[in-house]
Amino acid sequence: MSKEFEELKEALRKPATPEAMREAAQRFREYERVDAALGQRSRPTLVSLGLGKAYPTAVDFRDIPRELETNPAFFEQMRKIVGGD
Amino acid sequence: MLALPLHDLPTRSASGFLIRYVVPRTGPPQLVGPLDRKALFSTLAVGDVIIGVGHGDPARFSGYRDQVLIDLSSIPDVQGKVVVLISCQTARQLGPALINAGADSYIGFLEDLVWVMDADSAATPWSDKFAAPAMMPIVDCVNTILDGKVAADAFVVLTTELLGNAAVEEDELIASCLRFNARNASLLGNPMARVKARPKVAFPLPPPPLFPYLA
Repeated sequence: MSKEFEELKEALRKPATPEAMREAAQRFREYERVDAALGQRSRPTLVSLGLGKAYPTAVDFRDIPRELETNPAFFEQMRKIVGGD
Repeated sequence: MLALPLHDLPTRSASGFLIRYVVPRTGPPQLVGPLDRKALFSTLAVGDVIIGVGHGDPARFSGYRDQVLIDLSSIPDVQGKVVVLISCQTARQLGPALINAGADSYIGFLEDLVWVMDADSAATPWSDKFAAPAMMPIVDCVNTILDGKVAADAFVVLTTELLGNAAVEEDELIASCLRFNARNASLLGNPMARVKARPKVAFPLPPPPLFPYLA
């Protein structure tokens, strides 16, 4: 596992405080920068089939840091996916 | 019956894979795109299987433009059927309710069904290499059911392929999504349930035309 992803996981294991959300957003930027450099990618988007959620069901990778920083529900969702992995 | 909405990126991605790899094996009714609506869904009870893509929550499963097709107060005729809901969280309440209403077996998810897709592939979603590691296990699960094998076999195909793809996936976020989906996959009802086997189709068939995607 890359150092950047390990740090993202650690950041997502913290409670959803403003500081933790900012840190997770920064960690995702670093992970995404390294990840994008590994290969050619066009427009990766994180999607789900949730209904009536407090977070978007399609989030462009470029927008994930902003969602992590501003949306506690999205932070919690990412915590379940990545932090709980 | 197949319910395959195409109104946003996630429905287009998931429905696209089923349109490419499952629809050719099935007969009508196939509610694709704008046809995937409550008025049609509620009146069609034919067949021994319901395969649905759509946004969902613990108590609701929706179709085109998120109109609710099934909820706890309006369960369609599912007597003796195998139901696969490619949706979020329906295994919490709706899945058990479908089994209580007579469905033979149900496969769905306890949490959000999440994956990474390439938004630039929306016109040909079946060619999306980001989405394939999550969607092909679902396709193979559904095709196992259509092969006439038992629901338990289809469920093993789903979870084994998700975890297998995660093990070889280079993108760590995609791998986390695959493991998350495998952890939250759920089989309810009779694991020995099976449907009439459909003929296999020699792939690849020519890709079907899709309604244009208007972001």
